[in-house]
This record gives sequence, C-alpha cells and structure tokens, in this order.
Amino acid sequence: MSGFILGHLSVFELVLVNGVLAYSQYIALRAGVFSMATAGFAALGAYTAALFAVRLGFPVWAGLFAAALIGAVAGLVLALPLARLRGVFQAIATLAFVQIVMSVGLYWESLTGGALGLNGIPKLVHPGHLLVVLAIVLYVLRAVSRTGIGRAFDTIRQDETVAVSLGISVVKYQSLAFVLSGALGGLGGGLIAYRNYSLVPEDFGFPLLIAALSFVVLGGRNAVAGPLVGALILTLLPEVARPLADYRLAVNGVLIVLAIIYWPYGVVDTVILHWRQRKAARAQAVAEVVP
Amino acid sequence: MFTQQLLNGLVTGSTYALFALGFTLVFGVLHVLNLAHGAVFMVGAFAGLYTVTTAGLPLPLALLVAMLVGGLISVAVDWLALRPLRQRGTTEFGAIISSLGIAQVLMSAGQAVSQTQIMRFPFGTFPVVIYQFWGLRISLLQIVILLLSLMLALALLLFLFRSDFGRQIRAVAISERTSSLLGIRPGRVYFQTFFISGALAGAAGVIIGLAFNSVHFLMGEPYLLRAFVVIVLGGLGSIGGALVGGLLLGLVQTFSVSYLSSSLSDAIIYSLLFGILLLRPSGLFGKLHIETRVVRA
Amino acid sequence: MSGLTLRNVSRQFDGLLAVGDVSFSVLPGRITGLIGPNGAGKTTVVNLISGLLRPTQGTIHLDGEDISTIEPAAVARRGIARTFQTIRLLKETSVLDNVVAGFHCHERSSWLASLLGTPAARKETADLRARAAELLRQFNMLQYAGQAAGNLSYGHQRRVEMMRALATEPRLLLLDEPVAGMNDREADALGEIFSVLATNGLAVLLIEHNIRFIMSLCQELHVLDAGRLIASGEPHAVRAQAAVVAAYLGA
Repeated sequence: MSGFILGHLSVFELVLVNGVLAYSQYIALRAGVFSMATAGFAALGAYTAALFAVRLGFPVWAGLFAAALIGAVAGLVLALPLARLRGVFQAIATLAFVQIVMSVGLYWESLTGGALGLNGIPKLVHPGHLLVVLAIVLYVLRAVSRTGIGRAFDTIRQDETVAVSLGISVVKYQSLAFVLSGALGGLGGGLIAYRNYSLVPEDFGFPLLIAALSFVVLGGRNAVAGPLVGALILTLLPEVARPLADYRLAVNGVLIVLAIIYWPYGVVDTVILHWRQRKAARAQAVAEVVP
Repeated sequence: MFTQQLLNGLVTGSTYALFALGFTLVFGVLHVLNLAHGAVFMVGAFAGLYTVTTAGLPLPLALLVAMLVGGLISVAVDWLALRPLRQRGTTEFGAIISSLGIAQVLMSAGQAVSQTQIMRFPFGTFPVVIYQFWGLRISLLQIVILLLSLMLALALLLFLFRSDFGRQIRAVAISERTSSLLGIRPGRVYFQTFFISGALAGAAGVIIGLAFNSVHFLMGEPYLLRAFVVIVLGGLGSIGGALVGGLLLGLVQTFSVSYLSSSLSDAIIYSLLFGILLLRPSGLFGKLHIETRVVRA
Repeated sequence: MSGLTLRNVSRQFDGLLAVGDVSFSVLPGRITGLIGPNGAGKTTVVNLISGLLRPTQGTIHLDGEDISTIEPAAVARRGIARTFQTIRLLKETSVLDNVVAGFHCHERSSWLASLLGTPAARKETADLRARAAELLRQFNMLQYAGQAAGNLSYGHQRRVEMMRALATEPRLLLLDEPVAGMNDREADALGEIFSVLATNGLAVLLIEHNIRFIMSLCQELHVLDAGRLIASGEPHAVRAQAAVVAAYLGA
C-alpha cells in the first residue's frame, strides 16, 4: 500500500488539495448558499501564500494561515451583499467575483506577474502537511455538522421560511458559510501555490470552478465524507484509466450529469441513505415479530 | 475616434446580444440557466466552418446548417440533461450542474474533432469590403453582423409576441400546469424553445467565428460569461433587454479597452455585473419579480 | 399590556387591499379564533404577525413591544412560533432532528465552540436531542423519532410541525389551519392539546375553516371577510350575527 502511495505521490497530493477545495464548495452548498466563488477564493489564497513565501520568506504554516485568512476576509466582504440575493442571482454574482479576481490578477503585474504569472515558488508542502491540513478540516466540518451551526445550515438549505420561523437568521448563517467557504478556498489555494512551483491567473478560472462543484455533486452534499470521495473519484479516474485521460472533460461531464439525474444525493449520501433504509426496515421487521 | 469606437462598440455588442438571445429565452421559459449554451454555440460554429471548408458550400448555406445543427444539439441537451430533472421537479441547482456537465461533453467532442487547433474560415469566405465615410471605417462584414443580429432579435420578438407558438411559449413560461390544462403541450413548447435558442446560438457561432476569424473548442466560454452580464443588465428572461444589454456591454467594453486598458476591461465589466445584481437585480429594464430572501416584504 | 395586539393593521399588495384596518388582541391563557371565507386575508394576517410581511399601516405589539417591522427571525426569537397552512417539514431530516431544529433559539454554544466541537457544544446537542425525545414522548410520537419526516402520515406530520413550534418555547402560537384535511377524531385529539397549552398560559391564535372545531375550542372569535373584521367577541354571540352568516353562506 505504501509503495503504491509513494509511486503515485503526486496524484495522492492532488486528491488532498482537491479535497480541501471541495470542502470550500461543500460548506457553502450545505448552508443553501449557491456559491461558485471557490475558484476566486483559491486564487486569492494562492497568490497570497506565494507572495508571502517568495517575497517575505514566510514558513509554510504562516503562509497557509495567511491564505486562509485572506479567503475568509474575502468571504466576509462578499457575504455582506450576497446574503441578500438568492438562487441563480447568488450564482451569477459569485461567478462575477471569480472573473474579477482573475482579471485583477492579469492586470496587477507588479504584484502577480500578470499573464506570465508567479514562478519559482518553493515547494513547501509535502504529503505530511496535506494530511494534517485535511485532518484539521475534517475535524472542524464534523464538529460543525454535529452541533448548532450544522443544524442551522441544514434547516436553511431545506426551507428558508421554516428557518426564520424558528428564529434562525438566514443572513447571519449564510454569511458564516461564506466566510468558512472563503477560508477553505483560500487554504486550498495556498496548498496549490506551495505544490505547483508557479501560478497563472487562468489556473483559477471556470474549469476550477466546475471541478469544485463536480467533486461535491458527485461525492454528496450532506455527509462530511462526500466531497472527499468526489475529489478522489474525479482525480483518480483519469490516472487509473489512462485511455480516459484524453477525454477527461467528457468523463467529468458525463459523471456529473449522471450524478445529478440518477444519484441526486451523490455517491456517499446515496449509500448512507440506502444503508439507513435497510436498517429501518430491519428494525420494523423486528418490531413486527416482537410486538 | 469617439464615433469610430461607438460604431465598433455597437458591432461587438450586437454579437453579445445575438449570443445572449437564446440564453435568455431559455431562462425566460424554464427559469433555469442553460450553461451548455456556449458549447452549443461552439458546435454551431464548427458545423458552419466544416460546411464551408470540407463540403465547400457557400456561406449562407453554412449559416443555415449551423442553425439547424445548433437547434438540434440544443434540443438534445434538453432531452439528456434538463428534461429528466424537470420531470422530477428538481430546481435551478440541478439544471446548472447538468447543463455544465453536458457542456463539458460537447467541448470534449469539439476538442477531439479539432485536435485542439484554432480553425479559420478560408480567405474570401466573406468578401473583404471596407466602406469609408465621414472619417469612419466599417467593413461589409461588420454591417452584416449588426443587421443580422438586429433582424434575428426582431424576428424572435415578433415570433414570441405575434404568433400562436409564441403565445404558447409565453403561457408555459408563466405556468406549465395551467397551460397544459388549456391544451398546450409543454413538451412541444420546450422543444421549440430549445430549438430556437440553439439555432440562434449556431448563427452566433458562425457570425462570431467569421468576425474574429477563429473557431475553436473553447470559444463558447468567454461568450457565456459575457452573456451573464448581458442578461443581468437587460433583466433575466427579457428578449428586448438582452438586445439592449448586449449593445450596452459592447460599448462599455470597447470604450474601456480604448481609453483604459484591455486587461482592466474585464474587471470593469464584471464589477458592473456585480454592482447591478446588488442594486437592481431585476436589470435595468426588467420588471421580473425577483424572489428575495426571507425578509419582511 | 401582555399578549399580542394588532392596532389598525392594513396591508396592500400593488394597490389591492388584502387586510384593512384590523385590530384585535390575543391574550395569554386563551385560544383566540380567526375565521373567514377563502381569500379573506387570514394567512396574510399570520404572515404580518410572524414578520414575513410588512404592514402598510398600523402596529403590532407583543407584550408591549413593537414588532411591526423587525425581521422574521427576530420575531421568532421574541417568542412567536407558527405552523404553516401547507405543512413545511424538513422532509429529508429525521423526525427527532426536525424537533431539535426548533430549539435553535435556546442554543447557548458560541459559533467558536461549535466550530471547535468542544465537549460543551457536543453535550448541548445531546441535551437538545434528549429534550426533543421527551417532547416526542409527550405527543406519543417517540416510535417515529428515527424516520424521515417526509415519510410520515399527514396527521403525524402536523404533530411534528406542532412540536417543532413548541420547542421554541413560544409566548404566542400561530396555528394556520392546523386540522385541515383531518377527520373529527384526529382534529379533536389535536384540539385537546391546544387547550392544555392555553391553560398553561400560552397565547394561541387559531386560524380555521372548520366552524365546529373552532366553536368547541375558542374563548374569543374574530371573523375576517374581504380583509376586514366584520365581527368579534364571544364565539356563540359572534356566530349568531347576521353578517357572519352572510359571509359564510353567501346569503
């Protein structure tokens, strides 16, 4: 097993980085925020982390912290206006945010290197770092799921009117979701910066946005394990089935169409649902035998 | 200089409007964003190009072929990606994901067919004629682009507001249930809507491919992103709004490129989009009822 | 003044008057009925009180505090809970967790504690689940705790919605046609619960179509027709009034 992992270290790292980006998308959707901003948060985080390392010589953890922080701040700034919008309008506005970040990245050459990008970024993250980061992310998301914030998110996502009738402030909680999504997106961007040696603004455009959405749609939008499983499948598939690599786009496309039509809850949530139903059926059967 | 920019801006804007017409039509009828519209546009451009290059047919025929192919592909997009969701009553989120997925499939096909090359219409496909008057330069192609976009928008408006089919489409847009009680078959209306939307995308593909003399598998993406700006400017689902929004965007872009900087132009355009969503989400002209958050109304 | 007071409340939609110049109060410890034919504006009144709509004119006070313009979530936190005319449960979520969601206002853990998953935050979740289970037991619904709420029968879904509203520990409970579509036996069982709640000091506003049900429960009755109150007072006296008969029978 360890031999396999060593042999595919780069892919393994990619799965973990994509996992973090998937969680940025996930936490927004979980709270019913129709955000596509993850790619924009990642761009901010990546450039921040890269500049901190290249120009200021920051160590890896400080750089990643700064990346998460700038993402969170961007999330907060976005949240204030966006929590008022809903549905497709939220989606379009966050898409505009991604485009704004990208075009500023192209324009501000003195800082970002413009279209040529930033080069010579030291490779600061190693699988160990990635595992620690992902473990922390998973812990926090699990904690959120099992406490008040998760309940509020779930209520808002399923029915906003019910949520407010129970005293849940939709604007407040969706703002929190934006901030968390921003922090995770920034963190994911920081990981990209410290793994890729170079950055260009196009790394953070429409394709990344689609990738982040795909991970969550395929993996599942409810259970915490879902997005990671989605990232795992979509990252590994082209590697495992080499002939598919040329048609990566098409494979990704077919999978998310199938997922949204036939397994609308995603792989993990569908399995959990199935398992729960079987358990309930068994419990019912037992109850009928022993009245 | 200013007048020349104004003219250029209107031509650019009319291509944006042409692209956005079909996009906003689908939103108006189904209330979903069809993110495969850019890919259908690309397929239309491919079809038009191959009609000229491989089949050696004249341009007007290529335009018709592109519209036909675009229309059929668009109907296929609906059948494969959107109709199953509609039947289950799933909402806007599913449609966005599903249409994005099918867009990726189409783009992958385009990539394979073109082998990732940028393709061009052969020299002389469209006669190179430049008119000069009052110190302005305009090519015959630009005139045709402008006129064709306006004509197609007008034709669409006439169709929607003056024909029986158009009335049916608008009835379904208001309520599918009620209109089916009135004997309108929603399935047929969806077929027509997607066909028209795709045909417009196909036409836009050929015209824009000609205008920039470049056809490639990623050409839809920047237009799709621009189309968001156009339809938000004009009001989601409004045909006239898309026309005005497109022209306006063309002007904003042309002037910001020539007086500021080309790389800043995108930042300005998308900041404009962001600003309008916040201040006037129903668009500059839209009377569309916007569902807002649960706040006191 | 305690309880809920509406003073000259009006609401127009694009010039159309949905509710006009309505004044009444809902006192603690009593069930106050609001009836009227379809389209009389009953649900608009509920939405005005619960904060989904802004009155065009007039004020709404709860225990002396003006709540006419505060946001709906804030209204709920002031102690107004409601059920919906068409049931609105979190269908994918278990019955128990639907009720737990109702305890939101009483959660004490900070966001930070929740993010860090501190023992206190986790204990709070466990406590709320225990309280929700206790509520389910009182309503004789404990055996359904683990089921997805959407899979329950209509009458049971109504009960879950009620329990969720009660979990907020309200001062005022708004019931928007709670027994619509139920048979008399089911309705009376629910009515008994309402009576107990009122006896324990809750203010209850009951919106209903079912005259028999409302006559058997209410201590005070208001009749709404075309957005205006046409009669108010003791239920039997109200029913005897000619205007009420006219509104209901179209005579």
